[in-house]
Amino acid sequence: MAYADSPENAIAVIKQRTALMNRCLSQHKLMESLQHTSIMLTELRNPNLSPKKYYELYVIIFDSLTNLSTYLIENHPQNHHLADLYELVQYTGNVVPRLYLMITVGTSYLTFNEAPKKEILKDMIEMCRGVQNPIRGLFLRYYLSQRTKELLPEDDPSFNSQFIMNNFIEMNKLWVRLQHQGPLRERETRTRERKELQILVGSQLVRLSQIIDDNFQMYKQDILPTILEQVIQCRDLVSQEYLLDVICQVFADEFHLKTLDTLLQTTLHLNPDVSINKIVLTLVDRLNDYVTRQLEDDPNATSTNAYLDMDVFGTFWDYLTVLNHERPDLSLQQFIPLVESVIVLSLKWYPNNFDNLNKLFELVLQKTKDYGQKNISLESEHLFLVLLSFQNSKLQLTSSTTAPPNSPVTSKKHFIFQLISQCQAYKNILALQSISLQKKVVNEIIDILMDREVEEMADNDSESKLHPPGHSAYLVIEDKLQVQRLLSICEPLIISRSGPPANVASSDTNIDEVFFNRHDEEESWILDPIQEKLAHLIHWIMNTTSRKQTMKNKIQFSLEAQLEILLLIKSSFIKGGINVKYTFPAIITNFWKLMRKCRMIQEYLLKKRPDNKTLLSHYSNLLKQMFKFVSRCINDIFNSCNNSCTDLILKLNLQCAILADQLQLNEISYDFFSQAFTIFEESLSDSKTQLQALIYIAQSLQKTRSLYKEAYYDSLIVRCTLHGSKLLKKQDQCRAVYLCSHLWWATEISNIGEEEGITDNFYRDGKRVLECLQRSLRVADSIMDNEQSCELMVEILNRCLYYFIHGDESETHISIKYINGLIELIKTNLKSLKLEDNSASMITNSISDLHITGENNVKTSSNADDGSVITDKESNVAIGSDGTYIQLNTLNGSSTLIHGVVATASGSKLLHQLKYIPIHHFQRTCEYIESQREVDDRFKVIYV
Amino acid sequence: MSIFFKPPIDIEILFDNEESRKHVDIATRSSNSSYKSMKESLPVYEDGESLGGIVTLRVRDSKKVDHLGIKVSVIGSIDMLKSHGSGNSSSKKVTSSTSSSSSNGSVDVRKNSVDQFLCQSYDLCPAGELQHSQSFPFLFRDLSKRYESYKGKNVDVAYYVKVTVMRKSTDISKIKRFWVYLYNSVTTAPNTLSANETKATTNDIAGGNYAADNASDNTQTKSTQGEAGDVNQVLPISRSNNEPKPVRLDIGIENCLHIEFEYAKSQYSLKEVIVGRIYFLLTRLRIKHMELSLITRESSGLQTSNVMTDSTAIRYEIMDGSSVKGETIPIRLFLSGYDLTPNMSCNYFNVKNYLSLVIIDEDGRRYFKQSEITLYRTR
Repeated sequence: MAYADSPENAIAVIKQRTALMNRCLSQHKLMESLQHTSIMLTELRNPNLSPKKYYELYVIIFDSLTNLSTYLIENHPQNHHLADLYELVQYTGNVVPRLYLMITVGTSYLTFNEAPKKEILKDMIEMCRGVQNPIRGLFLRYYLSQRTKELLPEDDPSFNSQFIMNNFIEMNKLWVRLQHQGPLRERETRTRERKELQILVGSQLVRLSQIIDDNFQMYKQDILPTILEQVIQCRDLVSQEYLLDVICQVFADEFHLKTLDTLLQTTLHLNPDVSINKIVLTLVDRLNDYVTRQLEDDPNATSTNAYLDMDVFGTFWDYLTVLNHERPDLSLQQFIPLVESVIVLSLKWYPNNFDNLNKLFELVLQKTKDYGQKNISLESEHLFLVLLSFQNSKLQLTSSTTAPPNSPVTSKKHFIFQLISQCQAYKNILALQSISLQKKVVNEIIDILMDREVEEMADNDSESKLHPPGHSAYLVIEDKLQVQRLLSICEPLIISRSGPPANVASSDTNIDEVFFNRHDEEESWILDPIQEKLAHLIHWIMNTTSRKQTMKNKIQFSLEAQLEILLLIKSSFIKGGINVKYTFPAIITNFWKLMRKCRMIQEYLLKKRPDNKTLLSHYSNLLKQMFKFVSRCINDIFNSCNNSCTDLILKLNLQCAILADQLQLNEISYDFFSQAFTIFEESLSDSKTQLQALIYIAQSLQKTRSLYKEAYYDSLIVRCTLHGSKLLKKQDQCRAVYLCSHLWWATEISNIGEEEGITDNFYRDGKRVLECLQRSLRVADSIMDNEQSCELMVEILNRCLYYFIHGDESETHISIKYINGLIELIKTNLKSLKLEDNSASMITNSISDLHITGENNVKTSSNADDGSVITDKESNVAIGSDGTYIQLNTLNGSSTLIHGVVATASGSKLLHQLKYIPIHHFQRTCEYIESQREVDDRFKVIYV
Repeated sequence: MSIFFKPPIDIEILFDNEESRKHVDIATRSSNSSYKSMKESLPVYEDGESLGGIVTLRVRDSKKVDHLGIKVSVIGSIDMLKSHGSGNSSSKKVTSSTSSSSSNGSVDVRKNSVDQFLCQSYDLCPAGELQHSQSFPFLFRDLSKRYESYKGKNVDVAYYVKVTVMRKSTDISKIKRFWVYLYNSVTTAPNTLSANETKATTNDIAGGNYAADNASDNTQTKSTQGEAGDVNQVLPISRSNNEPKPVRLDIGIENCLHIEFEYAKSQYSLKEVIVGRIYFLLTRLRIKHMELSLITRESSGLQTSNVMTDSTAIRYEIMDGSSVKGETIPIRLFLSGYDLTPNMSCNYFNVKNYLSLVIIDEDGRRYFKQSEITLYRTR
């Protein structure tokens, strides 16, 4: 019999025949309806159908045959006997329609108890062998399976399982055979078609799992060996992968647990191309689900549960060893995910067992070495990245701490920290990787470690549970070791720029390396996220350790331990070469912290046990020691960075000096100050920086209190002023000197209990102040640029007014006469400035204009306090304390645009405006004086 | 002749209980092709069964008809296509006396009787005249029928009752055909083919000659004895290998296909089922499907001018798609639903059945292997 030429026609034929069949059935013309059915079934003989189309036809036909079956059952003893029909349909000439009919009739017969069930079932499945075409055979057997679903004899599970297994085996054979049919070039198509059909085969295993229920004996003894044998025998890639996956999925996880050996053994015998890792991962997933379920069922009895008696990891471990031995061809790409899945398992089953992990990493290490380091491809590099930084989503490491305390779900941060500190092999593997990869991994790790710092605090409790309290003394040492390991892991990052780039040649992957190299050459202060991260890490380590120790009330011990750790950090970060300029400030800062802590302990001891001299001296020694370390650190920075960061070194020195001063260590403080001056003298060449540095030094000096002894202070401030007066630019000289005048006029520091008017031992010397001011005035006067000169004079006037307010005339030697004289001088100069301008009237106009608007601007732009402000319709220009021009954005007064060379850059219009800066500045000063008259009578004698 | 003259007497033959007898539908193969598909329903008789009935003679137009006697005879004959039949001169001599009478329209005209193995007759009424319609009962008691009725391409085995009204001028005769089934008793299977074929044929030939010799003598006892003797002869042999041996055939095309074809036994009753299997030892062939067919081979004539004709009685697909090494394909073929011819053999022709395994590959080539089986009729 012929079949339709297209799937559409086939559907039409099937529908038509179904209608005819149903009509005949309603008229009880069984023979005719069987004939129609047979014609309909002929469509299933069509060899030109794709699996999808075939399935469509199958579905329609299945429904039709269900109708037929219903009729057959309803009319069984009255109108016909199914046993007769079973024979009758076998006269059908073509094998496919014949078998569909046989199964339909046979299964209808099975619904009756008098039927010889087993015989019919056996016969049907035997006869199904007649269809050897893969697609048709698969569907036929699927039909058999669907029809017999509810009808298998209830009392004989072993028969049923044999029946299904038999069907499964045959289906698998057909399925595998499909791969080898047709021309070779259509191989891909075949594989795709097979994937479409896989569910038919898989359904048999699902059926099996339903039949088995919880009959483990049968599963272990009969079913599993048979299935696995089949899987191994077929030697087919698609089949093995799919079937093992299905096996892992459909059967109970307890079963898997008990037959783990067998399952794993099976994977050793598979087609070499099968990706074993997928299978193992599925298996691991199932086993992990089991654990999860057990925990959910009975969260408290985890330790007593039977499953823990089994050495699951051991089994997997043995398996891996054997696998590694037997399949040396297994590439890293396959091997790593495999190990990864076992890691997942180990973490779930033995969350606190790091030995297992160590073992696994060792294995990978071995494998990598065997494989040859050079051969690591990009793909496997990626795998390593995933492996080493634990990016696998299957790893159930959460960073949240909301999980119940004894759940195996550990914080990823903890896990990694533990891992780093306990698994030597991990580090070794990491060391084998390429530099760029190492960097990536370490970056990842640090990110994880520092993730959610706040939660870490809350997490401390659970962490402490990991270590029994009795271990606290040991814990410090352990910590040190851990720190050591952590640092050694970070090594690639630390030295990332100094070392020769590993493989710059391979272009795109090493972009950041190239990038690093480039700005390494430039030695500029570009923000380096990695080094910044490392600095962050230093703080994190120190914070973590200090937290731990305070908890254990072991402050005395911990200070030294922390110091040790810090030194450890220092010694490892020194390897970074030029990078120390990023990282050492963090170390130094931590030194400072320790010093403060040390001082606190000292004070504490002084109060409680003043008699214990040895302890006290110990700490003072310690303190001095630490300053030495800091000094060395600064030297290290200086040595490794040459001149690129003198500014930083200067500031660090000053900061240390201030700290030493606050700790009453005047010698040390002096040393640091002198160090700062050395830097200033030897390394600072830029005039602008010099001014800044001097201001900074002056600020620091002004706050010191301990240096007064042995005239350290005096020599330092004189030196400072001297440097100021020797600056290159005159305006810089002028400003530096009038600022240095403050060094002879100490003011209160309320933090250490000083108060103006009560404390009487301030270091004040009015004469020297006046000298400074006079000197700066002289300089200002000698400046050729009139505007600059006027501006500086106004600034000096302001300074004078400051001293006038804060001190008595007798002390400060700033007399009214002097101020009035200064005012007169300024006025004269301003007049001459006005004369320079041709259009004098315009100026007066603009002055009166500006008078109003200027006032508003002073109020709004309070940040330009010490500079004069000139306003225009479009823009404001002010002059900063260091002489730079600042253009103020009128739209939002707070944000300022700095134009260092605004005068030259912005053209003549702006240049023209610059004249008004000193005018306005003076105007405001005068206004200030006038307003002060109301509160201070002395101001009344100042003439404006 | 009868076209020009209507015979003055109508003869009607009716068998006893004809309506209630079992009938068999036989396709008439008339020379006129348009009637090819017509079927004729004939009553079935078996060996040793008495054949009785009534002959009614109706006189046309109430005329008196003189006759020299009315004779009824039962005849079994082997007919062959003329072209072949003319070849066997030896048999012609034997049958020449009766052959003329069979040239009646109701028997296949293309075939000549080559052997009348059965011919019994007796007079229904002596010479006289018929004035009105008259009925005569007739009865052939315990009629021995040597062969089964058969209708093949070249050969027929036909049975009929012939009533002849003898006259001075042309005789008026009428024949009525009936069909004969020979049943093997249930317990006895016929002798195995290979061992006893020659023997059986010699027996048949001998028996055939004997029957032919005695045909004119109207002695039927001897021929039945002969038949019985034949059966008796067969019995002990068939009993000795009552356990049917499975037939196993190795079939192969070198380096291309190698299969083992096995079926349970080589003799089947027509109601039986052929059960077997095919085991694939090697397949490099892309098989599209595989069929099992049953071929009925009729060979007629003597050895010198043997004519063989095959007809496929059953075509039954047993495998769809291509199998692989190690697969076993089951065979189960119910025979009872088909109209098959049991094996027959006599000196003029024989009918053999062959089981033929046909493999059709994807390029449409057919490979086949035939093996002989014996079919026999059981009750």
